[in-house]
Amino acid sequence: MPNEIYQQLIATSTGVLLLTAILQIWGRSLARSIALLAVQGAALAGLVLTVGVHAGELEALTVAGLVLIVKSVVLPLVMLRSAARIGETREHPAQINPAVELIGAAALTLAAYAISGPLMGPNPGPALQALPVGFSLIFLGFWLLLIRRSAITGLIGFLVLDNGIATVSFLVSGGLPLTVELGVSLDVLLVVLILGVLVIRLQKVHGSIDITELKELHD
Amino acid sequence: MTNLIDLGLQAQFGCTIVGIAAALLPARVRNAVAGTAISIGGLTAAATGIIALQGSTGTGLILPIALPGGDGLDPLLLAPDQLGGFFMALAGLVLSLTALFGIGYAHGAAASRTGWAAFAVFALGVQLVPAAGDAVSFLLAWEAMAIGSTVLLLADHASREAVRPATLWYAVLTHASFLLILAGFGVLTAASGGTNWDRWVNLSEPVTTVAFVLLVAGFATKAGLMPVHVWLPRAHPEAPSHASAAMSAAMVKMGIYGLLLVTLRLFPNGPQWWAVVFVALGAASALYGILQASVQSDLKRLLAYSTTENIGLITTAIGVGLLLRGSGQNAVGDVALVAALLLALSHAAFKTVLFTGAGSVLHATGERDLDALGGLAARMPWTASAFGVGAMGAAALPVTAGFVAEWVLLQALIHTDARADRLLAVVLPITMGVVALTVGLGLLTFVKAFGIAFLARPRSAGAEGAHEASFTMVAAMLIAAIGTVGLGLIPGPLSRLLGAAVGAQDLAVTGFTGLELGSLGAILLDPLALSLLTAAMLVPVLAINAVAALRHPRRQVDLAWGCGGDRTSPRMEYNATSYSEPLVRVFGGSLQTRRSVEVITPDDAPLLVEGIAFNQETTDVVENRVYLPAIRALERFGDFARRLQNGSIHRYLSFSFAALLVVLVVVSR
Repeated sequence: MPNEIYQQLIATSTGVLLLTAILQIWGRSLARSIALLAVQGAALAGLVLTVGVHAGELEALTVAGLVLIVKSVVLPLVMLRSAARIGETREHPAQINPAVELIGAAALTLAAYAISGPLMGPNPGPALQALPVGFSLIFLGFWLLLIRRSAITGLIGFLVLDNGIATVSFLVSGGLPLTVELGVSLDVLLVVLILGVLVIRLQKVHGSIDITELKELHD
Repeated sequence: MTNLIDLGLQAQFGCTIVGIAAALLPARVRNAVAGTAISIGGLTAAATGIIALQGSTGTGLILPIALPGGDGLDPLLLAPDQLGGFFMALAGLVLSLTALFGIGYAHGAAASRTGWAAFAVFALGVQLVPAAGDAVSFLLAWEAMAIGSTVLLLADHASREAVRPATLWYAVLTHASFLLILAGFGVLTAASGGTNWDRWVNLSEPVTTVAFVLLVAGFATKAGLMPVHVWLPRAHPEAPSHASAAMSAAMVKMGIYGLLLVTLRLFPNGPQWWAVVFVALGAASALYGILQASVQSDLKRLLAYSTTENIGLITTAIGVGLLLRGSGQNAVGDVALVAALLLALSHAAFKTVLFTGAGSVLHATGERDLDALGGLAARMPWTASAFGVGAMGAAALPVTAGFVAEWVLLQALIHTDARADRLLAVVLPITMGVVALTVGLGLLTFVKAFGIAFLARPRSAGAEGAHEASFTMVAAMLIAAIGTVGLGLIPGPLSRLLGAAVGAQDLAVTGFTGLELGSLGAILLDPLALSLLTAAMLVPVLAINAVAALRHPRRQVDLAWGCGGDRTSPRMEYNATSYSEPLVRVFGGSLQTRRSVEVITPDDAPLLVEGIAFNQETTDVVENRVYLPAIRALERFGDFARRLQNGSIHRYLSFSFAALLVVLVVVSR
């Protein structure tokens, strides 16, 4: 693969990752947020493929396929199903001002660029140059967890966070072995399945999935 | 030929292993086998200690424990010097006797597998603390001692509510002591590059001062000196009696050993103010301890406060000795230091008797409250005789060890030339006053302890039905009592050895076995002659008594207008509270006792009196003024911190997010 195309592909896939995360913070519709998650999963798969092919590892094809299936198809479908069972379509009223949400997201992205400098080293290759995007995804995922009240969006935030971790690990190591990725993906799948059931139970018991109402976790 | 000291140290490990293994035996034989093993271990320690005290040295037993790092850490060395040998012998004798007592005494949880295993570990720890030749083995033994005693203290936690708070106080303070000592040793290790004692002797200011402050705070906590004594009156009453005897007679002495280690072995040329600190701490503890002891009516609590008093006297003696050595009066200083060791030994002897005696009383009557005892002399003659001897020792009466020790201390105080030095001119007269007042109050206190508990008539059903203790218990008490008297009658040879341990050479044996303080001019103490003289003086008194008894035989006088009432109800007896009432009056301000008189009347007839209840509670001023406010402040801080945890998931998430950000920012710098 010519170097320029490689660069372009990395830039495109990481760009899509960042854009989808920002859009998820901006928007309020649950369905659109889940759709963005699917796009994000596809972009992550593309990134895996690009890095793997450039490194000349054929295993990357399988890993990318796995990422695509789990993160772009299965997880969004599971979440859509949970949302439909509960009957929620929109996010709960915000805890903080939407402008503050976006400004916070911007600040966190800047922070991600600031802290990943030392990790990139003096002369980073194209893959390492995209490292701040991985950290941004981690931060933005956390940010979503913090600012949203619905349990479904919390789940979305968790998945964005996980995508961020995956991005960082792919970019730093130049591709993960199949067994590791298999383990991680199935783990995440399991977590989402369990949390999906939990959210439905929450709706049944409390009549709401607003996690700000769960306040008994103290002594 | 193998070195005897090394052999003795190895034998102690062997006995401890046998003791722990014996703790696993069935309950029927556990007490006997485990108690015997620990007792033999104690005797081995005593023998080893005495050999070391006579000046032999071991080749140095190196514990085969590999330390991580290794850099700056010397091997774990067990090599007692003369001073260490003295404390090892003291601890060994006490533990041997208390283990023997425990064979008959331990019951319930104290006789469990855990109970005996903890006692074995505790005993080994106490015996090895003075043998340590470096900081790490010292701390290992120290911690074994701390953990073993904490477990022992917890023995009755299931049956008595008060045990848990007592253990909490003890555990907190004992670990505070460990941490302070660890910090002190850490400072010295960092400054010298090694953990062996020998490496530290050449250190100079300001390292030594920092270490002195940390170490003295740590050792004072273990010894039970005044501001940090609060664990004693809580822990001693709640521990099983053989454990409280071992803790009071042997374990707190390790605090004293620590003080001597710092000031005699490590930094013998410390500044004068170190000695003044010792005198101040010691004098305050002695006075406060005996004042509190004199008004207690719980027998074991009384003994616990008396421990603070005695430790205070020992520390005072050490302080005086250092002060005098520092100002050039070496001979008198030596005598004061020997007095400190004699005080430690006599306290070990009579406190073993008193705590085991209190244990026998508790075992027989189920009561610790003096106001519920009485009349035990007829019911428990052996216990009563032993306790009587112990009480005489604690009151520093002649022919007991306590008398010899305090006599030597007073001689040192009296024979000091304080004209030259203004510091001495201020400190010594005050010290003398404090010692005199302490000894006087001590006499009152122990007259009360013995008189109320053992004489007159029983004040409760428990005391009424008391029975003599079992054979091993009586044996342990009597051996300790004989030791108390023996030290009082033949102090000479031992004092010479003690003189060598603190570097004094001027003591000699006089007469048959008496003591001559050669350095103070011809000051002689010959207890045998003294007791013969006393006996001779008693002859006319007894003769007059006998004659009077023959002339006027005792008649039972009944109340002329008593309407058949009983004149001698136990409720009319003088009891512990009434005995100490004058003291409460005089020292009320510093004792802060709380009294309440409640008149009980029927609900429908407020003018009729059904009964009158009097209640007196003694409180600890230091605890009320220092510890409780500190604990309350901590609790307020804790309540404030609880606000952080309000149950909101978002808040918890933001904590971890903030932590993640901080970590990343720190890492990326």
